[in-house]
Amino acid sequence: MHPSGLQVSTPTDTTIVLTRTFNAPRRLVWEAMFTPDRMRRWMLPPPGWTTTVCECEARVGGALRVAWKSEEADPAMTLQGVFTEVVLHERAVHTERMALGSGQTIGSLLETHEFTEKDGVTTMRITQAYDSKEARDGAIASGMDQGMEACYERLDTLLARPA
Amino acid sequence: MVVDQSPRLDRVFHALAHPARRAIIRQLSGGERNLSELASPLRMTFPAATKHVRVLERADLVRRRVVGRQHLCRLRAAPLRDATLWTEQFRRNWEARFRALDELLDEMKSEEQPRSRRR
Repeated sequence: MHPSGLQVSTPTDTTIVLTRTFNAPRRLVWEAMFTPDRMRRWMLPPPGWTTTVCECEARVGGALRVAWKSEEADPAMTLQGVFTEVVLHERAVHTERMALGSGQTIGSLLETHEFTEKDGVTTMRITQAYDSKEARDGAIASGMDQGMEACYERLDTLLARPA
Repeated sequence: MVVDQSPRLDRVFHALAHPARRAIIRQLSGGERNLSELASPLRMTFPAATKHVRVLERADLVRRRVVGRQHLCRLRAAPLRDATLWTEQFRRNWEARFRALDELLDEMKSEEQPRSRRR
């Protein structure tokens, strides 16, 4: 267990903030986050999927492109974005658009990464800003497997009733 | 201060993972019930129902009080309304990626060590 695991918060209706510390200098965390060969190591695709494209150029105007294929579709899903703000090893902002293989957009957001280092430990804070509350909620809900979601739906109905 | 909620949420997730326990929660949403009332619609023995209720108690989803021979159970919905439960699966998915990133960073640090010694 990591000494300080990931914290997730939703400070506004359209944002998700992820905060995590890493036992490494921020120069290395930056490199791991934005270098394609390194990114492939931690951007774990869903089970049965493989990463086919992984490009990332962390400079203003630089592109971010990732694609995955499944047994049924190639690509099954794509992620594309452009860096809009870059302060080396400190701060990076990029747009992000997730789409299905068919090209249908399933979500777009602005992602801000902030890195601070103290005594060789780096804190990374990722702020995901979605277009709407629905899009934000969808991103959170997509993390749940279907069984769990069905269970939540049942509980929602149940909790809507007065006890 | 940020408190690690994981062990508590693990208990809630575990409690919700069984259809019989979800059925018990559904029954209790109608109000307080005694253990036999909970057991019979599920065609469950009294000890089996007791076992499930204990799991729900550990997750703080159910409170039980004993009145004479009756074990009365009632639902405590607060843990289910908890916002952290809603984001927990999202958090776990990202944490899995960040654990992989931890490993990668350890490797990157050891790659660098021989180089820095030469300097």
